[in-house]
Amino acid sequence: MQRLLVVGLNHATAPLDVRERLAFSAEGRDRAIAALREKFPQSEVALISTCNRVEIYTAREVHGHPRAQEMIEFLSAFHSVQPTEFAQHLYQKGDRDVVAHLFTVASSLDSMVLGETQILGQVREAYDVARNLGATGALLNPLFQRAIAVGKEVMTATAISEGRVSVASVAVDYARRIFDSFDDKCVLSIGAGKMAALVLQSFAQLAPRRLMVCNRSPEKAVELAARFNGEPLPFEQLSDHLVAADIVVSSTGAARPIITAAQVAALRKARRYRPLFVIDIALPRDVESAVGELENIYLYNIDDLQQVVAGTMHQRKDAIDAARAIIERQVEQFVAWHRAREMGPMIERLSQRYHQLASDELQRTLNKLPNVGAAERAHLEELTRRIVNKLLHDPISMLRKSEGMHGASSQYLHAMERLFHLEEDDQESDAEGNADDGAVE
Amino acid sequence: MTQPTLGQILLLAITALLFSAGCVISLARVWWDRESLRIGAKACLWTGVTLSLAALIWHAASRRSWLPLDDNFEAFTWLAVLLTGFVLYVQRTRPLGGLDWFVMPIAIVLLVAAMVLGKTKPQEYVDTTWSIVHRVSAYGGAAAFAVAGAVGALYLLACRRLRHKTLPHGPSLGSLERLEHVTFSAVTLGFALLTIGMLTGLVRAVKGQTTLGEHWFTSPKVLLAFAVWLVYALVLHARINPAFRGRKVAILSILGCVLMVGTLVVVNFVPGGGSGGGGSH
Repeated sequence: MQRLLVVGLNHATAPLDVRERLAFSAEGRDRAIAALREKFPQSEVALISTCNRVEIYTAREVHGHPRAQEMIEFLSAFHSVQPTEFAQHLYQKGDRDVVAHLFTVASSLDSMVLGETQILGQVREAYDVARNLGATGALLNPLFQRAIAVGKEVMTATAISEGRVSVASVAVDYARRIFDSFDDKCVLSIGAGKMAALVLQSFAQLAPRRLMVCNRSPEKAVELAARFNGEPLPFEQLSDHLVAADIVVSSTGAARPIITAAQVAALRKARRYRPLFVIDIALPRDVESAVGELENIYLYNIDDLQQVVAGTMHQRKDAIDAARAIIERQVEQFVAWHRAREMGPMIERLSQRYHQLASDELQRTLNKLPNVGAAERAHLEELTRRIVNKLLHDPISMLRKSEGMHGASSQYLHAMERLFHLEEDDQESDAEGNADDGAVE
Repeated sequence: MTQPTLGQILLLAITALLFSAGCVISLARVWWDRESLRIGAKACLWTGVTLSLAALIWHAASRRSWLPLDDNFEAFTWLAVLLTGFVLYVQRTRPLGGLDWFVMPIAIVLLVAAMVLGKTKPQEYVDTTWSIVHRVSAYGGAAAFAVAGAVGALYLLACRRLRHKTLPHGPSLGSLERLEHVTFSAVTLGFALLTIGMLTGLVRAVKGQTTLGEHWFTSPKVLLAFAVWLVYALVLHARINPAFRGRKVAILSILGCVLMVGTLVVVNFVPGGGSGGGGSH
């Protein structure tokens, strides 16, 4: 029998500077999953790390490991950050709440940009990575598969993503508040990833005089620049590009800021003190926050832009209600499925075991009574069967009525395992269940 | 000397009320950005301009003068009309939502000044060529500086909004680039007119056509006018020195506008400040 746990933080609970310290790079995520698996080999693990959230999902045996505190210690050790610096921003959820949370995340209802579709891809990627590393199993496999399905259903069956204001469109809106015309402006992209492409697409529509792409990997810069008829530029001459630029979109995967306040301050004279609009959509951030305090420099990070987008939430209240209804229904279905999966075999084993005991005792008694006829034997067999059924009726009914994946149900199951000595049978069953991954799909 | 009639003052009072209503309606768009409010605010300004022009024509006709710029009543009314006309023009061609929030209060104050000073201190000007050129350029310059000051305030507000990183409701204030351009244009025009006004004033002072006396160069009016000229020279200096742009230009434009108002107050209210029935303007 397994229990779910998630420990994490997101845009609502933690500021950007905390999130960026706990964020996992792609390579870091792989290492973290491997380390968790090594430390807690009996558990399942999946890890979601985006610019808005860092969450570790685990499935473990009742009274098993990791516990929430162990996951906090792991985060602390992995990122070399003291728990006191981030623990107050963490949330932890168990069992049914984990299901509801992951479904909400995959449906983008927990995103800062409500209705954004990127999160669904990020959940899928997190699942794929964990599965490929062999870190998911009997519970996380169906959970993530169902979450992705729920996310898809919400996106297609509701208007949650319609009329959505994107981060890119907000960035353009801000640019229009700084600049009057764009045919004499230069847009510089530092980084050539997906987010850079999305934002550049919006700026390219403004027909700027120059569109420059600067990336550590020149091939990617060439590729992205070609898409928007821009110029690929060498990363090593970043300062020169900053002098020419009026709008900078930065989205590299650098662990430390690549644009510092001192650097920009030194360039202001060469720039003839022209206004500079800097959009930092990287996490960890690419641009020192002190840059935004310089005169005529307007710095916006991902939180600044997303908060504006979040302000449009009230316009989609009906869609949000519809999405919540879908999620609620899907959570119930998943919990019911999980309960049936956990309880069905156990009830079956319990019933079989006690009917067998009754049958054995009846046989022993009948052996001492040679004159019992076939009719009487049938009556006695029926009697013992009815007694066993009546004895088991109340506990089984209570189990079936318990909510499932919440404390009561799990505790009943655990108690039954112990009281009726079903542990060994249960473990055998779990081993069988592991081969049944994805049955929920 | 022709004092404005009660009817003319009543027209200006209605105009001031209309301008106030237009300003309040426009401000309401910060909370309720509706098209009806925009049209309502615009209608108030157009009606006010029409009424104030009617008052000007009525007043000039009663004096049988072809130039409706012969006393305080007309001068201040003209300034208010010019400013309101500028607001209507700019919002039609290059929308700067919120320009009226800053310009219209100045126009309203000018209308009140026209009503009060027109009645209590009509100051009919002496008509000489120098005097006419001096008055037109000085008042034209003042109007341009009032616009520059208002747009400067708008720039600071827009800049503050950008720093606060919110996209507020209500009309767009216009881009910083546009606001800076309008400020520079208004300051350039105002500076040219003020320079002409100061030169013609100099000629008039030398010719003894003013009541400033022999020591005209130490009169508060002249000193304040020179201070205003210096401030705007500094603003225009930003064209040469790019380090001197953005917020600094906006703040100086507001400072220049305040000094300009100070000059008008000194001229009209401070005894010996430089005003005189002999055509000090």
